[in-house]
Amino acid sequence: MKYHSSILLFGLLFIAAPSQAADDSLISGKLMDYIGLGAVAFLLLLVVTALFVLLRTIKLFTRAILRSEGVTEEEIELKLDPPKATPKPKGDVWIKLMSLRPLSEEKDMIMEHEYDGIQELDNPTPAWFMYLFYGTIIFGIGYLLNYHVFHTGQLQYQEYQTEVKQADIAKQAFLSKSANRVDENNVKLVSDPAVLASGKAIFIQTCAPCHGEHAQGVVGPNLTDDYWLHGNKIADLFKTIKYGVAAKGMPTWEKQLSPKQIADVSNYVKSLHDTHPAGAKEPQGTKETDDKLASK
Amino acid sequence: MQPEKFYYDNKIVRDFGIATVLWGIIGMTVGLIAAIQLYHPGANMHNQYTTFGRIRPLHTNAVIFAFVGNAIFMGVYYSLQRLLKARMFSDVLSKIHFWGWQLIIVSAVITLPLGLTTSHEYAELEWPIDIAITIIWVVFGFNMFGTIFKRRERHLYVAIWFYIATFVTIAVLHIVNSFELPVSAFKSYMVYAGVQDALVQWWYGHNAVAFFLTTPYLGMMYYFLPKMANRPVYSYKLSILHFWALIFIYIWAGPHHLLYTTLPGWAQSLGVAFSIMLIAPSWGGMINGLLTLRGAWDKVRDDVILKFMVVALTAYGMATFEGPMLSLKQINSIAHFSDWIIAHVHVGALGWNGFLTFAVLYWLIPRIYKTELFSKKLASFHFWIGTLGIIFYAVPMYWAGFTQSLMLKEFTPEGMLKYPNFLETTLQILPMHVMRSVGGAMYLLGVIVMAYNLLRTAKQGSLVANEAAQAMPLEPVHTIARESAWHRRLERKPIQLMVAALFVILIGTFIELMPTLTISSNIPTIASVKPYSSLELQGRDLYIREGCSNCHSQTVRPFRSETERYGEYSKAGEFVYDHPFLWGSKRTGPDLARIGGKYGNAWHYNHLMDPRLMSPGSIMPEYSWLLTQNLDTTTTRAKIHAMRTLGVPYPVGYENQANADLDEQAKAIAADLAKDHIKVKSNKEVIAIIAYLQRMGMDIKANKTTK
Repeated sequence: MKYHSSILLFGLLFIAAPSQAADDSLISGKLMDYIGLGAVAFLLLLVVTALFVLLRTIKLFTRAILRSEGVTEEEIELKLDPPKATPKPKGDVWIKLMSLRPLSEEKDMIMEHEYDGIQELDNPTPAWFMYLFYGTIIFGIGYLLNYHVFHTGQLQYQEYQTEVKQADIAKQAFLSKSANRVDENNVKLVSDPAVLASGKAIFIQTCAPCHGEHAQGVVGPNLTDDYWLHGNKIADLFKTIKYGVAAKGMPTWEKQLSPKQIADVSNYVKSLHDTHPAGAKEPQGTKETDDKLASK
Repeated sequence: MQPEKFYYDNKIVRDFGIATVLWGIIGMTVGLIAAIQLYHPGANMHNQYTTFGRIRPLHTNAVIFAFVGNAIFMGVYYSLQRLLKARMFSDVLSKIHFWGWQLIIVSAVITLPLGLTTSHEYAELEWPIDIAITIIWVVFGFNMFGTIFKRRERHLYVAIWFYIATFVTIAVLHIVNSFELPVSAFKSYMVYAGVQDALVQWWYGHNAVAFFLTTPYLGMMYYFLPKMANRPVYSYKLSILHFWALIFIYIWAGPHHLLYTTLPGWAQSLGVAFSIMLIAPSWGGMINGLLTLRGAWDKVRDDVILKFMVVALTAYGMATFEGPMLSLKQINSIAHFSDWIIAHVHVGALGWNGFLTFAVLYWLIPRIYKTELFSKKLASFHFWIGTLGIIFYAVPMYWAGFTQSLMLKEFTPEGMLKYPNFLETTLQILPMHVMRSVGGAMYLLGVIVMAYNLLRTAKQGSLVANEAAQAMPLEPVHTIARESAWHRRLERKPIQLMVAALFVILIGTFIELMPTLTISSNIPTIASVKPYSSLELQGRDLYIREGCSNCHSQTVRPFRSETERYGEYSKAGEFVYDHPFLWGSKRTGPDLARIGGKYGNAWHYNHLMDPRLMSPGSIMPEYSWLLTQNLDTTTTRAKIHAMRTLGVPYPVGYENQANADLDEQAKAIAADLAKDHIKVKSNKEVIAIIAYLQRMGMDIKANKTTK
């Protein structure tokens, strides 16, 4: 019995192993997650079941052993299922805390009226309940005083200003130390593969829905040809991505991408020039000369 | 004096019971379908009538007003007769009430999938149905008070105080929140706009929870629990205290749904302070219930009905503690708009309302059929699968709520949002949404098993339609001695009791609503905010029809994580022409208050056609029908006229020119789309909705450029 769950565990691992090996198979990562979660849940259930079975087995064995030792049936029953101790009456502390009176006094507290057989007791409202009530009233008054009379607490707009101020300080402190200080004035054209790989990842995630997976242009323009609406210099691209072009439906990415990320994706787009992807959108904007050589 | 013989009407109780179970199953099934769409958008069956934005209101309306509503009437009609020792005032009124209520629900089932909605949460039904609800509610009140007047019991039991408070408060809430100006047979505009509309809506929304899901159920608890456990109610004094405290304080708490919005700060703070004060009065009901079981806990072990009651009371206690905590602004800033709130309401709805309803059904059906419950085993199965269902539902939703909220707030050291793409956070929590639908399915399975069990119970017994009873008639008032306790005296006077309850709930109502509704200085105007163009207005109504606000908010809160993500925080003056407001209460998708100009028209066109084209992995449904359906421009005139009546400054006579302007703007958008090789006629609905989306937040941006 004991080995059952471990055998099953191995069995499960065995089943799971091929799917792990075939990482690039048709099964998506998400589905794998679900399968994994399901397996874990199943396993837990199995362990619980095994425990129950184990418990029963032990009882059965004990019974058999005791019987072989010549113990009578009644004694066995007594050993395996000892009678539950009569519950202790709840202590005075509990009764006091709840301001309860002993049940034996109840008949003196029954009120004279009854409704369809329902009687009511003349118990006082529990003391702790009254303290809770008064406590919350004091809290409520204190809350109003705090925010509206003494102004010790900040209301929402003040709170907001404080939050933004603190964040600005923290941000400046961080940026002054980091290399993440690129903007449209100092962005450089590079062909470092690491930069392009990072740029590609961002492009697929954020730009592809409008510009197409190969930048061939869908809702947004084709980014691989010679024609540009807002300039083709690396600084132009950086600016267009950072601030967007509201009139043309290009969103502002300043809040969603870090300066480094904007630089990476700008460089990636530059690297796509003249790739002639399939299904390229017709040219939009003015013809620009490539600045690749110039900057190199 | 001789005891009088009379008969309790059990048939009406049975009818409401059947309706409870049937609508419960329907409402929960719709909920399950909606839940599945949140990870598998194709579950809308590619059909506009079954898409999330339209069936989410159907789910909430069905479970609140059909399932819980019928359960309330079942419980009230059963207990009221017995507590007053009288048959219901009029069988005809009972029947009108029953069938009227079912008709209202049926009309909701028809109109909500059609997209006929006011967009006010839990009050989505359009104006003709609002009137029907008012009439039927009055019928119910008339029938209840008629019964009270012919009672054979001098004093009113605590359950009836709760019923009276429910009746009078729901009437006030429903009427005030239904102030709308009809435009056509099934279209109206809310009289209030923007912040004011939001305040009224959440004053209503919060107190619908208080006076539809809480007070009638507390009343039922006070009748059925002592009966089930055969124990006296723990404390009469506690009943008095928590009843008055509860109805007085609850009404103030609505603004906690609008923290960090443009609602004036003092109103927000009042809402928070009163929410905290609500803990003890809410718990009063739970304590009185649980202590009533004192000395009967041995029964709870064996009796599945008491088990249901204990879980119901515990869920009530948890939800009413969690609620005040959620109202604290520090916690609210994380929880609001997230799945945390969904978890919170479902602990209350599935635990408190659901389980208490099941307990009452299991107790009452065998009694009116003079038989035993068909199967205790099945009832026990229902209890366990239901409890597990609640846990499987709530835990993943809490988890999802924390996860998504914290992701949305996270910044990198560079001071950028760590997850600038909202969709990333959505994809993260999809497994939790799968789990949640499993929990919901378990709960629903339990209800179906209950339906079978009750059906078999009814089949093995026979309905005692008119149950004989007898009681002494009331002695004339002048013969009884004046009572010294003031509350005992009040319990003899139903009208005074109702007036007192009305007075108590109106105090909070007036103090909170009146200043914001009447003093215009609370809403600073912004010069650049202009009324919507006729095309945008039509687009906005499509946005309402499709229920976009079920998943997208339109209010940017003053948090750095939101102003970075969406743009500057919302101002009250931006919403002055928004009849109704569309702030929403849940962000399944991103906020749209600043969506205008963020993307091109072509992006929106493709995104509405198939969201996954532009945002791979998105769980937004496809709105392909917007591309093919023609915009109904015959309503433009009436809409412009109605808006002007409500104070929107369209020039006099603009109605005549509105459709020409509409055409012009639509043609411009179609021409712009044509540049991107999208061929679409300018009279399609998609053009109008794009126009609206591109307008949102533009006025405040215009303000910036002119400065």
